[in-house]
Amino acid sequence: MNKKMMRVILEIIRYTVIVFGAFWMVLPFFWLFSASLMTPQELMSDIPKWLPEKPQWNNYLQVLKRVPIFTYYKNSLVVAGSVTFLVLFTSSMAGYAFAKLRFCGRRILFNFVLSTMMFPVFIFLIPVYYLMKLFGWLNSYLALIVPFAVSGYGIFLMRQFVMTIPDELLDCARLDGAKEFKIYSVIILPLLKPALATLAILTFIGQWNSFLWPLIVTSTAQRFMTLPVGISRLSLAFSTAETQHLIITALVYQVVPMVIMFLYLQRYYVKGFVLSGFSNL
Amino acid sequence: MTNKKIFSRHRSFERNMGAGYLFLAPALIFYSLFFVYPVLFSFTVSTKRWNMLIPLSRARNVGFSEYAYLLKDEMFLGVFKNTLLYAIITVSFTIIIALVLAVLINNAKFSVLWRFIYFAPVVTPQVAIGTIWGYLYRPSNGLLNSILGLFGFKPVYWLTDPNIALFSIMATAVWAGTGGSMLIITAGLKNIPQDYYDAARIDGAGPFKQFLHITVPLLSPTLLFLTATGFIGAWQVFDLPFTMGRNAPAKSVMTVSWYVYETAFQSLRMGRASAGAFLLFCVIFAFTLFILWIFKRGGIKGYE
Repeated sequence: MNKKMMRVILEIIRYTVIVFGAFWMVLPFFWLFSASLMTPQELMSDIPKWLPEKPQWNNYLQVLKRVPIFTYYKNSLVVAGSVTFLVLFTSSMAGYAFAKLRFCGRRILFNFVLSTMMFPVFIFLIPVYYLMKLFGWLNSYLALIVPFAVSGYGIFLMRQFVMTIPDELLDCARLDGAKEFKIYSVIILPLLKPALATLAILTFIGQWNSFLWPLIVTSTAQRFMTLPVGISRLSLAFSTAETQHLIITALVYQVVPMVIMFLYLQRYYVKGFVLSGFSNL
Repeated sequence: MTNKKIFSRHRSFERNMGAGYLFLAPALIFYSLFFVYPVLFSFTVSTKRWNMLIPLSRARNVGFSEYAYLLKDEMFLGVFKNTLLYAIITVSFTIIIALVLAVLINNAKFSVLWRFIYFAPVVTPQVAIGTIWGYLYRPSNGLLNSILGLFGFKPVYWLTDPNIALFSIMATAVWAGTGGSMLIITAGLKNIPQDYYDAARIDGAGPFKQFLHITVPLLSPTLLFLTATGFIGAWQVFDLPFTMGRNAPAKSVMTVSWYVYETAFQSLRMGRASAGAFLLFCVIFAFTLFILWIFKRGGIKGYE
């Protein structure tokens, strides 16, 4: 009896914690949506409001008129899409080489790739900016895309996955006279599909949300700004009390599509970790 | 026959040799241009007084004086302290909370729904998260203080009090990071055989003992992964402090990335910014190796 009581109490604690946490997770999103429908006066009122008196759906139209949201969307899509494509290409090639081909310095090069992951971005800001300036790429898509074309994490992930493909399969193809590039494109790539999907999603999310680098290289050209840069500038552009509601409504435009899209893809987020081999006991 | 086999194997090895470099070519070209060159370039810049407007060759050589300056600069030391504090606190809190939640949610009812809810901030741009929390943290008309008011607390100056601002930002970072870590820990949990728990229960171990003696030790590779990637991410944090800390008193919330951004691209002191980046990188690198070493001593292997 005592033990049963204990169990019931533990279960109550468990669900209390889960629901309490979930409340805090949802609260900012709930507030964002609710506030996006408020008037500036409601937003700035001394007693914070949970819900608008009368939903101001007009806010959403007003923002579209005053902020080039669709340009930002387009830029973010072009940049995140191109980077993802390039990363998939370079990572799968390098991953295949590291996993299945033998050549001098393979170990050293692979360790080098792993160690690049430990270098923080802030080391590269000045020199890569300078390179972009030399190439004349500032304020263009190239500056946003090319410096991210190769990912150490991507190469590592692909290598881990290619290692699980049996050598016999490749040897058979080699005996049939297939060249390495054919093996890569006909055998490896199709087998890599699940791993590529994972890497694609991780890269895309990362690029879509990336802020510091786009902020630096597009500081003077609004037509190349990505969504995070464009939206972050609104706090300066709309700093007066009468325009606060526009910032919040613009945030909804930024947040909602991605959250809806990627919530369905959360399993890929986990897969990246599973593929990395850390989950094996 | 044997000879022939050896011969053919030798040939395929030879052929692979060139193919290996060919497949690596895009990555190698990229790394020499965007990794090796920048690191060397950065180091050179850190010994010069340069504003990027004149050619580097015409910049004045100042040796290691920027390094010496930074080590005595209160601003820089503050930035260093903030980043260290930020990384240690957010990484450890995120992992501990995520671990507890993952275990609680693992066999709970509606577990899919809970994971869904907790995961949402992971895919939300950090800039948006920072801005939203900036509003929630407003002192007089923010939601947080109004909730506190319900319980009779005085309003807190979340983002403007220099003693609190950094911790408010950390709280947001933990809020944003927990869901992702939780999902990964859940994947690790699914790998622990149920038998272990059954055996422990027969031996009379309660839920807390099971958690401490089965779950945590068997999850250590997962925890290593989260700690290492967590620190690597936290050292370079920029988005949250930059979007939330604009109204905080100077240097109370500034982090390294922000400092480099400010010094290089606002004040055009490329040398000082590079020197600062290098100094902090050395500390970070040593710290990351130290963490890997601790885990290794505990018998945990990383990759391979």
